[in-house]
Amino acid sequence: MTAQGTQRGGRARWFWAGLMFASFGVIAALRITDAIGEATGFILMACAMLLIVPLTRAGLAHQRTTGHLSPAVARYTRRFMIASLGYMLGLGIAITLSERMELSGVGAFAIALLPVLPIFAMIWTMARYLIEEDDEFLRHRATIASLAGLGLVLAAGSFWGFLETFGVVPHVDAWWTFPVWAVGMGIAQCWMSWRDRAGTES
Amino acid sequence: MKNRLKVLRAERNWSQQDLAQRLEVSRQSVNAIETGRYDPSLPLAFRIAALFDMPIEAIFAPD
Repeated sequence: MTAQGTQRGGRARWFWAGLMFASFGVIAALRITDAIGEATGFILMACAMLLIVPLTRAGLAHQRTTGHLSPAVARYTRRFMIASLGYMLGLGIAITLSERMELSGVGAFAIALLPVLPIFAMIWTMARYLIEEDDEFLRHRATIASLAGLGLVLAAGSFWGFLETFGVVPHVDAWWTFPVWAVGMGIAQCWMSWRDRAGTES
Repeated sequence: MKNRLKVLRAERNWSQQDLAQRLEVSRQSVNAIETGRYDPSLPLAFRIAALFDMPIEAIFAPD
């Protein structure tokens, strides 16, 4: 692969990442301002999550050209894609059922598990990556990114919680924790990639 | 930690990718170690020392 090809792959990765995070931001803003309903927010978020497919492909292609694609990364990507598809399927079924029937008790609990079980699978996938990655620097980076995501969830959650208590902002459902964590992790990965490029090969 | 990895690599006319392949790590790892942004673990430091056939303290030194 030529340097031009590598550069093109890098640009494609940034394009899809930017589009996905911009979509998350717009949907969040629309939901917070009550411009869209809960169900619409769910559906739009699921659609925006589809952008993870081209983003992942662009990322893998870029890593392949630069020789950074470890077997653990390839396994992580395959597992995460399967979990993402399961999430979208589970979410779609859960929304459809919740709109067509009155949910309560065990039924509501079971339907809530439909989108949540794939999220558990995503969390397990990330944990497995940290265990299976042989390259200690890549493992270190993934750990830092996870902690950055956790920091964002705790900071945003605590701040928003108090604002909500004081009646300044509307209620936000707790399932937002996972997307916010993923956004924090993504931002940290982007920042570390940018910093890595500053150290050029001589 | 300071290290002489970049100098030792240049003496052998190896690229970062060449060194990464010999150490079985990513090029990012080599880059991060060379630029002092990441200190390798003891097992990796031993592998680096073995590759260059030098004692660890001849490659790595405290700041």
